[in-house]
Amino acid sequence: MRSSVSYILSHAPGESVMSHPDYAQHAQHHACLLVLVKGIGGVLKNFNKLWERIQRVNNIKVTDSSGQVRDIWVRYVRDYPVENNDWGDFQTHRRLLGLITLSKFANQIELNEVCRVHESLKVKYSNTLYDSRAFMFGPGSNLKKPQQEPETYNPYDDDKLRERASLSDKISLPSDESDSLSSSGSFLRSTSSNTSYSAQEENFTTPSNFKTHALFYGENDPVPDLEQHVADLINSLFWVVESKRLERSREKLEKVSLLLAPFEKRDFVGLDMESRNNKKRCMGRVTKNLADLTLQAGLIAEALSLYHSAAEILKSVNDWLWLAAAKEGHCATSAILQYPNLRNSTPLQRNASLQESSPNKTKPLSLYQPSTDPFRKFKLHSSPLKSSKTSSPVNPPSELTPSSSDSVETSSRQSETDNADTESLASSSDIDYQSQKSYLSPDLPSIPRQPPSQINNQFLLSGEEIAEKYRKAIIHYSKYQNAGIIETEACFKAARIAVEQNNSLHASSFLQNVIFINLTLSEQEKIQRFDTLAELYKEIGFLRKAAFCQRLAATRQVSANNPNPDWQRCYYLMLHSFPGHKLSLDPNYVIQHQVGWPALQIQLLHELVVAARRMGHPALATRHMTFLLQTMWPHLSRQEHRDLAIQLQALSAQCEGGPVPLVLETGEVIPPANLTHVPSCSYFNPRQLPPPRTPHLIKSKSNQGPFIFTPIHFGSLERKNKKDEGKMEYLWVEDDICEVQMKLTNPLPFELKVSNMRLLTSGVVFESIPETIILPPDSPTTVNLHGTPKEVGELQILGYSTHTLGVKSNCRLKNMPMPHKFPASFLIEVIPSLPTITIETTLSLAGNINLSNPEISGNITNISLYNGESTECVITITNTSNVPIEYLDLSIQSNMDSQLQSKVFQWSNEEIQSKLPINPNEVARIVMKLYGEADFLDLGGVGENLFPNSLISNYPSRVGSPVPNTQTSLPTHSSNPHTSLSSALIVNRTSGSFRSINSQTTSWSAPISIMPPSRGRQIETQIIIRYSGGVGKDLHCRQSILQMNLELLPSVSITHWDVLPAEIPSQLYLVLDITNLTNEEMDFHYTPTKHILIEGKESRRVPVPLDRCPFTTTICKNEEDAAEPKSISTGTSTNSLELMCSEHLTKNVDLRWHLLQSNITGRASVKGITLSQTMMDIVRMSPLNWEVSLNNQCIKPQEEYNCMAGECLSLGVAVWNHLSRPLHKLCLSVQFYQDYNNGVLNYKLDNRVATAGNNKVVLATLLESAKAYHECTVVFLTPGEYKIDIQCSTTEPILDEIPHIKDTNQVSVQSCASEISHVWRFIPPVAISVTD
Amino acid sequence: MAVCVAIIGKDNSPLYIGGIGNESGTDNELSRQWLVHTALDALEERLATTNTSNTNTSANAARTDLRDLYLGLLYSTDTHKIYGYVTNTRIKLVLVTSSTSPSGSNIRDAEVRTALRRLHALYADAICNPFHLPGDQIVSRKFDKQVKSLMMNNV
Repeated sequence: MRSSVSYILSHAPGESVMSHPDYAQHAQHHACLLVLVKGIGGVLKNFNKLWERIQRVNNIKVTDSSGQVRDIWVRYVRDYPVENNDWGDFQTHRRLLGLITLSKFANQIELNEVCRVHESLKVKYSNTLYDSRAFMFGPGSNLKKPQQEPETYNPYDDDKLRERASLSDKISLPSDESDSLSSSGSFLRSTSSNTSYSAQEENFTTPSNFKTHALFYGENDPVPDLEQHVADLINSLFWVVESKRLERSREKLEKVSLLLAPFEKRDFVGLDMESRNNKKRCMGRVTKNLADLTLQAGLIAEALSLYHSAAEILKSVNDWLWLAAAKEGHCATSAILQYPNLRNSTPLQRNASLQESSPNKTKPLSLYQPSTDPFRKFKLHSSPLKSSKTSSPVNPPSELTPSSSDSVETSSRQSETDNADTESLASSSDIDYQSQKSYLSPDLPSIPRQPPSQINNQFLLSGEEIAEKYRKAIIHYSKYQNAGIIETEACFKAARIAVEQNNSLHASSFLQNVIFINLTLSEQEKIQRFDTLAELYKEIGFLRKAAFCQRLAATRQVSANNPNPDWQRCYYLMLHSFPGHKLSLDPNYVIQHQVGWPALQIQLLHELVVAARRMGHPALATRHMTFLLQTMWPHLSRQEHRDLAIQLQALSAQCEGGPVPLVLETGEVIPPANLTHVPSCSYFNPRQLPPPRTPHLIKSKSNQGPFIFTPIHFGSLERKNKKDEGKMEYLWVEDDICEVQMKLTNPLPFELKVSNMRLLTSGVVFESIPETIILPPDSPTTVNLHGTPKEVGELQILGYSTHTLGVKSNCRLKNMPMPHKFPASFLIEVIPSLPTITIETTLSLAGNINLSNPEISGNITNISLYNGESTECVITITNTSNVPIEYLDLSIQSNMDSQLQSKVFQWSNEEIQSKLPINPNEVARIVMKLYGEADFLDLGGVGENLFPNSLISNYPSRVGSPVPNTQTSLPTHSSNPHTSLSSALIVNRTSGSFRSINSQTTSWSAPISIMPPSRGRQIETQIIIRYSGGVGKDLHCRQSILQMNLELLPSVSITHWDVLPAEIPSQLYLVLDITNLTNEEMDFHYTPTKHILIEGKESRRVPVPLDRCPFTTTICKNEEDAAEPKSISTGTSTNSLELMCSEHLTKNVDLRWHLLQSNITGRASVKGITLSQTMMDIVRMSPLNWEVSLNNQCIKPQEEYNCMAGECLSLGVAVWNHLSRPLHKLCLSVQFYQDYNNGVLNYKLDNRVATAGNNKVVLATLLESAKAYHECTVVFLTPGEYKIDIQCSTTEPILDEIPHIKDTNQVSVQSCASEISHVWRFIPPVAISVTD
Repeated sequence: MAVCVAIIGKDNSPLYIGGIGNESGTDNELSRQWLVHTALDALEERLATTNTSNTNTSANAARTDLRDLYLGLLYSTDTHKIYGYVTNTRIKLVLVTSSTSPSGSNIRDAEVRTALRRLHALYADAICNPFHLPGDQIVSRKFDKQVKSLMMNNV
């Protein structure tokens, strides 16, 4: 675009080069009247508010002399360089036409100063200024306007007319530049008349040379008529412009003088001004000037054609600069017509925003309309009245007189101008006021400024043409170096139009062109240029470009060339270039999206940190450095990590970084940046409470079905959805310390100190305990964070906070860097606080501590007990919490079965319950009895014999009992009643089955060890103490486990046993082989009175006298037997009977031992003793009572009977039935035999014994308590030792009686009903020694 | 001719930036990145407008448009000119020439076009590597060498 024809007509930069580009210019400003609004004097509090209100009056409608409504637009500026004013001829909208000052004064001196400044401003812009207003705000709010009014006349009319007069004066003398000061002086003088109000208040007077329309208010006054006054000013300005336009339009084209751009002055020196070419040039320029004025005066359509014709003329004379201006004007006018939004958008938005923000701001607008009428009244009618009142005694007459004289002067002049001017002006002054209503009406968006027909102007340019023409204009401008600023401004204006056209490429090309314009600008202006460029780039969506420009502007702010670097603005520029670099202030966003160019982002952030530091905001510097380290972590090398970390440390030394948003002065919020990479967390998991403190449900959930796991969930979709991610299955307890385990790695190559690590939680109140750790480089460290929930409910663990490198960070799990996938939060249920306890165990042993060593290490108690020994263990429970224990439950879990367990451990539940509640810090003692339960019957080792108790094996002590040798292979013998083998068979069978029963009853010992009791056993026991209290006691409890290792040492064992009939039939002897398994001497008590000393590892045989087992003892059978599986007992008819006998023995045998050395006493029992059938018959009380007599002499037991060979003996046998029922088919038999005492019994005594009478009698029935007597005679033929075996057998089961006694045990009885015979013998067999 | 060549992914992330020149002063890697990065705006806008025009014009025109992947001069600064090229998969190739150097100042459009086409071919070769993940930065040394020579040859 830039012309290659470089600087054809350009010159060395003149002194009057416009050097202050106005980057904010828009195309529509071509049509605006320029008004300077300036605050002078003291700082007005509500200046900005007033400024905004003034700005809103940017468009008024004026009805001109021909009745046409003109649309007048105003542009307000806060500052305007005078140099730019010089270009007013070139483009009239650059002229400053009006001045509004807002000032504050507190006293007379200040007032004088304010007035002086106002006047000097007027002088400064005297070349172009048409009118001014001074709004003065005094100290009080009681300043009354009437007092400020001039005394005698309405200021408005006069003021206007006078101004007009003075201006027209000036206009008529355009070349009178040198005179301007004097003319302005006259102008001032002329206007002085309107400041004739003598006294603002009693105390304040304006200086005499202050000749402006001043309006006085209290400082806090609402200034309701501000808009009115401003509109008034604009109105007056319009008329001046209009008058100038008319004047210009009436000029004779041939006679016009050449209008010049400021730098052109020297160009035309010596040129022939009269040449045709020059004439044309003049003409063109004037036309262009007229077009400008026309445009400003609101006649847009006319301006279009004027611009067009001006362009035509100027083109013909190659006046490029003015041609460009004409083209630009043409474009601007077209744009104004085409894009009315250009004008309306700003005020519209402002109004809208104001209405939204504060409702009371709309008030002035609504008040505005009604205020016009009083206003007018006041001006037309009341002011004279008022002025009469306020005759202002304060005002000295001396001051009054000059002003009045002035007024006379001006009035005369006015009459002149009135005459000179057309009537229209005079008449317009009337219309002016009539039209006040119309221009005051708020009309902004609704009323079209031009009738639609006028838009279809033939000269109206289309959008594409505007761009094209602007391009050409810019090219023309570019030919003049001195017009650089005009060109720059044109570029911006064109770009703005392109933005409006939504043509980004055009806009960008216009903007690009700005870069190439070589201007000698101050740094500040260069920065402004970049700033404006950035803004426009932003508007077209070229964010990267905008960011680039902003960054350039930022670097310019602080470049070495800049005399006064401004780090703050640099900082803000950098900050605002974030979107262009695809950066966000929120570090999480950046990390998540990972867009943009990291290299550039890093650079920018670096610069931002520097800027923040240099502008003296260390907190920001720290924040941005943290941000840089956090977001750019993956893009940085290890070395950079290190460097940045060190820098961050240095920065944070000045100001610590915290996880709070920083609010900038501009209201921007810098969200916190949290370092999650330093240290990096690779594992984060809340931990269950340690086992003793884990809460358990008091009532465990019952299983819903037989299946533990099923993949099928019927209708359970919702249920699954409900389960939160990160919801923990376990519970935490209020007021109980909880733990989260995490694994941290320090990625930096130096040792990192992380202090004040805490947990971040939400939900219930949680008190986190800070941790400080020092992490070595590059080695994962496990860290536990602790805390205490203080409430009941759901606790959400969101992350953790750290303080490292001087920066406090809140590392939230959801924002954790990617490689580790954490749930957003962990949800843990916190239940009401539960008590905690400590447990101690002590063994209350009296004097024998040295043997059973209670080792208590932690919660493990080791106890050694001899079998049969008992001791007491005291469990001391101390409540260490603040919650009373209201529930306590003791249970035991061990590798024993429950029966044995209950025997080994005994305690009283009532006693425990009676101790409740245990209040805080109270102690409860629970006594638990321990007993070394054991099977004392040594079965001689498993496996060596199928029947280890070997009752039938060669047992030396089986004296006197007719032991049938083992012929187990003949089960049919049972049906053989004539031998005693049947009994042996039964013995074998039953003993076999009994063994199995025995093993069943002792099955508890199997899991402990298969070792015989002689070797000692280890019992591992857990005493589970469940306790609870407080609010949640109904739901949850805690569980303490007391580990108890019990060692059962062997004490005594019974290796063999047998029963012998005692001397009295009602008694028997239980003969036991007792082995002392200890190494000490043992005192063994087997009856209350008898004891025996057994050396260590020695064995002794002891007889224990016992009563025989009565029939009715079966009633005592305990449940243990009942619980036995039936399948085992069905095989034998005598099963229950044996049990009964065994039970009887167990109950009545009281064995005690006493280790003499270590003074330990204990018991032993014969529990589980097995008995053979024969033994049982001994043990049991016989159902039949015998009375045997030889030669009518009763035979005593153990008594030997002597007789001679051949002597006839009469053997009488009487049998009583002691059963409670009759016996049937009783077979009473008498048999003689010889016992060789070597195990051989000789029954074949055919030639040695002769008997008379039956030796076998069958009794059909023996009624209960009945007696049967049988007698036979026997003769021993040869001498020798004879024995008589007297027995009674029956094929009917005798136990039929049991159902009558005991109802429950019938099953086994029924099953054995058909079984074989039962034999009772007369014990001991009668022995007879026969001698010759 | 070229001082810098950049390959930019379809999400506008830099895939490869190669430049020749001294690494000190203003002509360093970072400044080249700024140049290329700033060019993306214009490039995207150009693409957007081509797209809309494509939809407006006939299919035939669209096809020819598509065939021409070369976008021409994106923008120029005092010292550099930046040219763009977009593949059909929206991979952007950017070539920066120095307007200060004698060879770069009056370079012809056609030369740039061929250079970018060759670059496109090189890029296609590079991503043919089965171990290259699309969207990752190109770290191939061979590619780097070839691109550098491409730039040098034209200088």
